[in-house]
Amino acid sequence: MNKLFGLAIAAAVSMTSSFAYADRANLLSDERVRQAIAYAIDMDTIVETLFEGKAIVADSMIPNGSFKAEGLEPYGYNPDKARALLDEAGWDGSQKLDVVYYYGDQLTADLMVALQAYLGEVGVEMTYRKLEGDVGGQLNALPEEGSDTSAVTWDIAYGARAALALQEYYNGYKSGLSSYAPGDPERDELIARINASADPAVQQDAFKDFERFENTVLSDIALYYQQLFIYESSRMSRNGGEYGNDQFTYDWNIVNWTVEPDADGKEVLYTNTAPSTFFDHPWLNPGIYVFSKIGLDHLLTADGNLTPKGGQLASDYSVSDDGLTVTFTMKDGLTWHDGDDLTAEDVVWSIETAKTVPGINAVFAATFEAIENIAVDGSTITLTMSQLDPNVLLTFSQFAPLPMHLFTDLNPAEFQQHPFWQNPVGSGPYKIAEVQMNDYVRFVPFEAYHGGVANIDEIVAFPSGENDGNVITNAAAGRLDFGFTKSVADVQSLEEMEHMRVIPANIPYTRSLRVNAYPMISE
Amino acid sequence: MLTFIARRLLITIPMLLVISFLVYLGLEMTPGDAVSYMIDPEAAARMSDEQFAAMREALGLNKSFLERYGIWLVNILQGNFGHSLSGGVAISTIVLDRLPATLELAIFALFFSTLFGCVLGTISALRRGSATDSALTVIGMLGVSIPEFFFGLVAILIFALNLGWLPVGGRLLPGYETFIDRLPHIVLPGLVMSLMMTAGVMRYSRSAMLDSLSREFIRTARSKGLPEWRIHLIHGFRVALTPVVVLIGFRLPTLIGGSVIIEKVFQWPGVGNEFIQAVRGSDYPLVMMIALLSVFAVLMASLIVDVLTALIDPRVRLN
Repeated sequence: MNKLFGLAIAAAVSMTSSFAYADRANLLSDERVRQAIAYAIDMDTIVETLFEGKAIVADSMIPNGSFKAEGLEPYGYNPDKARALLDEAGWDGSQKLDVVYYYGDQLTADLMVALQAYLGEVGVEMTYRKLEGDVGGQLNALPEEGSDTSAVTWDIAYGARAALALQEYYNGYKSGLSSYAPGDPERDELIARINASADPAVQQDAFKDFERFENTVLSDIALYYQQLFIYESSRMSRNGGEYGNDQFTYDWNIVNWTVEPDADGKEVLYTNTAPSTFFDHPWLNPGIYVFSKIGLDHLLTADGNLTPKGGQLASDYSVSDDGLTVTFTMKDGLTWHDGDDLTAEDVVWSIETAKTVPGINAVFAATFEAIENIAVDGSTITLTMSQLDPNVLLTFSQFAPLPMHLFTDLNPAEFQQHPFWQNPVGSGPYKIAEVQMNDYVRFVPFEAYHGGVANIDEIVAFPSGENDGNVITNAAAGRLDFGFTKSVADVQSLEEMEHMRVIPANIPYTRSLRVNAYPMISE
Repeated sequence: MLTFIARRLLITIPMLLVISFLVYLGLEMTPGDAVSYMIDPEAAARMSDEQFAAMREALGLNKSFLERYGIWLVNILQGNFGHSLSGGVAISTIVLDRLPATLELAIFALFFSTLFGCVLGTISALRRGSATDSALTVIGMLGVSIPEFFFGLVAILIFALNLGWLPVGGRLLPGYETFIDRLPHIVLPGLVMSLMMTAGVMRYSRSAMLDSLSREFIRTARSKGLPEWRIHLIHGFRVALTPVVVLIGFRLPTLIGGSVIIEKVFQWPGVGNEFIQAVRGSDYPLVMMIALLSVFAVLMASLIVDVLTALIDPRVRLN
């Protein structure tokens, strides 16, 4: 008995030395407090005033559409209800909320002021600060194994979740994976369900159940859905090409785009997102930068909502009924922009390499993790999966294979630093003709493109991008024919220009308050 | 004079060493590192500690501060400036790519600001108390007080967007081959930058000229019956140039460091913008290189100012 007692003491001592214990109650762990915060914020007014109506008030992390559950509590502005819930939960005002964010724009700072005022009105004091330095570490640090004490210091983090696949909204809540939402067996089961089938009908039911669960729990207080705004000059036409989620890649018919010819009769289209010191690789953000958008092809293509719809580099593809075997057959005669053959080996090398590159897109990473074996037979690639991946086709509609022969001596940890990214070679409808780093990149049609030679003679891309004042000056000066932005200020200016049109696109991009419900340690 | 120059050049070596250490230390003390900048917060949530460690090891960030500084210093002494952490590009390539743009702009601005500043300052002094003097004083004050970015944006609005005389920004467009092709692009940023600098030179040269004109040697020159233009330009202006040269000399480092605001507003691909990006991304090899170049430029400017002052003003002796 004494020995047992001694062991218990020793275990307790060793645990104390390995991690710190929470020593203060965290009232945010009470879902009534989280609900009160949701009721206290008048998002309708914030969207109408701060965002000039260019956002959609959110009632869950999942955007509106066929995956949205019916009858969710919208948490409309109701300060009385907020106060009542706080009273019920025993909120005594002693806990001053530390709210953090990581965006540097003025709109975010204004939003913080508004949140402070709304919460103050119901008796919740908050301070706010911008995270600097290792933002990822400060946001995502997980409680030590065996501990339930928060490893992050903030109470609420304002952030965004931009999802390629809807599962991305919720997979991060899995027990042991979230820095702010303590594990929950019921939620883990729901996570398993949303990942259990590739059938949209089955997925929809699972997602709706998840939304209903989270609608009460409120691990994240969804604030608003950010819209994407595609802008085009009146000089250009997509000629029937679709509009969609331009942060990724989809079948937008760029081969058939046209632009009014200049005085020399040459069709030149101006855009942005060119590099300033190197081209960003496409395995994290597959569709933001110009080279990824027009210079790279994928095995499959998708529609504007990013639903895979057919082959691009692949002439044929299939998924077995159990979802464990995926086959792609490559088109004949494919080449890279440098004239080398684009083969199944390039695809396999790309998948194998991507598995070792840190920080690739989460949907790609999940798919590649599930691949047990890759077999190549001529132009046919067969993937054997260890488990069903509901997004396997989505991955291959966004994941761009790269030319194996140009990546000699590659250290995966230095993938972005490889010389390839100074003047990359791709497979898409446009190839790089000239790189003047930090000035412009000139693209010309790829004459051997499998989808036909593109119409526009030249695409010139400048280095400016989203949230950059140069977007507006360039557009006003007729030096910008196409681009996209999420910046409300940019949109307002662009809408005032007669020669520009702005097309809003609803995208899965939700801004929310992540509420830290773990027990905390006093400062 | 040669001994003086040699001694000053030798002093720059320990100064560069100390400053490089301080800059390196400053970077070390900023929160985060190059890896935390490279990986966005959302992607970071899905990365393992091992992956972060591998990236830090690949970039040499796993070593201690002193070890890294030592390696960097040895490499620099061997002429190896290293590679940018974010993109893997050789530092020498980045600097050599950006430097011509910065030099073009700075030389343009320095030339015009010196020319306009000296001429207008002298006129202002010679017509002291007149309407011209008052007008130039007001213009000078405005030039000093109006922020560069505001001036730049107004210039873009008027001359590029409304009148369409000049491009909105950028330095190169496809098909440009010669400096003449690029000339229209430098006019707006160059003039905006030089106007801001002109105001300072003008104010300095006005007060220096007034001071000079009140000296006894001017009276002596007049008593000798010399013509007024000769008294003003040869006797007065030469002495008045000394403080102006000091001011211009200390602006020489902008030749290397660039003007961040002007480069940003006019999309000018110079060193200044690159430096800001590098600091934000904790890209220490690049920050160190640009910082060292700037420090070197400051030290050299100080030396040049001393030498020029001695050459212009016979009363100054170098020792």
